[in-house]
Amino acid sequence: MLPLKRQERMEVDMVYYLIICRSLTFAQKSAAVLERAGITAHIMRSPKRISETGCSHAVKISERRLAESLQVLSRVGLSPERVYIMSADGSYKEVSL
Amino acid sequence: MIYLDSAATTMRKPAAVALAMQRAMERMASPGRGSHRPAMLAAETVFSCREAAARMFGVDQPDNVVFTSSATHALNIAIKSVVKPGDRVLISGYEHNAVTRPLAVIPNLRLHVAKTPLFRPELFLERVREELQNKIDAVICTHVSNVFGYVLPIADLAALCRDRRIPLIVDASQSAGCLPVSLGEWGAAFVAMPGHKGLYGPQGTGLLLCGDCAVRPLIEGGTGSASERQEMPEFLPDRLEAGTHNIPGIAGLLEGLRFVEQMGSTKILEHERRLALHAARGLERMAGLEVFFEQGLQNQTGVLSFNIESMDCETAAERLGQAGIAVRAGLHCAPLAHQSAGTLDRGTVRMSLSAFNTLYDVERLVNAVSRINP
Repeated sequence: MLPLKRQERMEVDMVYYLIICRSLTFAQKSAAVLERAGITAHIMRSPKRISETGCSHAVKISERRLAESLQVLSRVGLSPERVYIMSADGSYKEVSL
Repeated sequence: MIYLDSAATTMRKPAAVALAMQRAMERMASPGRGSHRPAMLAAETVFSCREAAARMFGVDQPDNVVFTSSATHALNIAIKSVVKPGDRVLISGYEHNAVTRPLAVIPNLRLHVAKTPLFRPELFLERVREELQNKIDAVICTHVSNVFGYVLPIADLAALCRDRRIPLIVDASQSAGCLPVSLGEWGAAFVAMPGHKGLYGPQGTGLLLCGDCAVRPLIEGGTGSASERQEMPEFLPDRLEAGTHNIPGIAGLLEGLRFVEQMGSTKILEHERRLALHAARGLERMAGLEVFFEQGLQNQTGVLSFNIESMDCETAAERLGQAGIAVRAGLHCAPLAHQSAGTLDRGTVRMSLSAFNTLYDVERLVNAVSRINP
């Protein structure tokens, strides 16, 4: 089940999700776990406007794989700080987990 | 040149080490400081190295593998994180200055030294049990003496510390790469090691494996994370890795770790012991030589100290150097070890081996010593 509320899903035009991580190593660990589970994960620096503490890294995943990704990460104790969805217009919206 | 000074640094490395370093200098930037390809390539290399070290040394999470510039750097972080002014600290009688000097600057420290004879691990443990009847706040112990190759019983010591909930710091400078080293199995607070000795990485690399203890940064600065805050991040490895990483060094270290993993530390130790024993027996046969070894080397690695009775150890090393044999002489930055072994006034000549040495190398040493021995 997707953690995003149905109404929210309808309001945004989903492009991809960003799982915000506290550090580069945390992002790398998360991406490695996801890749091993067959989920394509790309590491990037978090966009400035959503990086609450100045600099952080994020794991980018496809819109269809969020629920599965969160389950995989949760199984190995890697809870993301926050998750954002990027819309087609380039804006970011935090997803309630 | 026959190189027999690997306890200082292994000079001959696997060919992949230099290639990886060159590749890193040409293609890699600073990890965590950009999303561009050179930064991400550096980040991938750093993470691969953390993962390889975590796998090899029983660390649960790669985050708990911290890169340092040397084992000394790593030990300083560990000691200054654990030991407070006025603490009672127990150390072995075979510690290097990398342990004793950081301790010497901590105010009002009460230092307990378990000073016991060479190659007698059972006496060491007995002495430790006695000392632990005092209220000891931390234990710091080398796994292998850098002077004598003496293997201290770290697994047993770790069990004693775990039972009493005393933080243990292990100096694995001479054991990483040739003996089993496991942060998890030992339950140690920290394990420190260089990258440039038994792990066959380049100089300027070291690792600190972190257990559950709180860590205190030795330096502060940029980490590429939590940049708006003026405090260092609370999480590892960022908390202990301020500033730009030594990427060529880490790339080289990764290849060194792969070499050890591929060859197997047990095989490396067996090889070094066989050569050390050959050298010890050859030297022992000569008149006027004192050789510090135990038959069978059960409690010794490929490090062997000796003295030519009628010659200063530095003179002997110099003459061996002139004969094309590289060894080290003196106190080896470990006066406490010499005090424990009774060689403080004379020092020793030390030969130390690596996976790349051959029987020919130690036979050349034995022949050279026989020629300079008056």
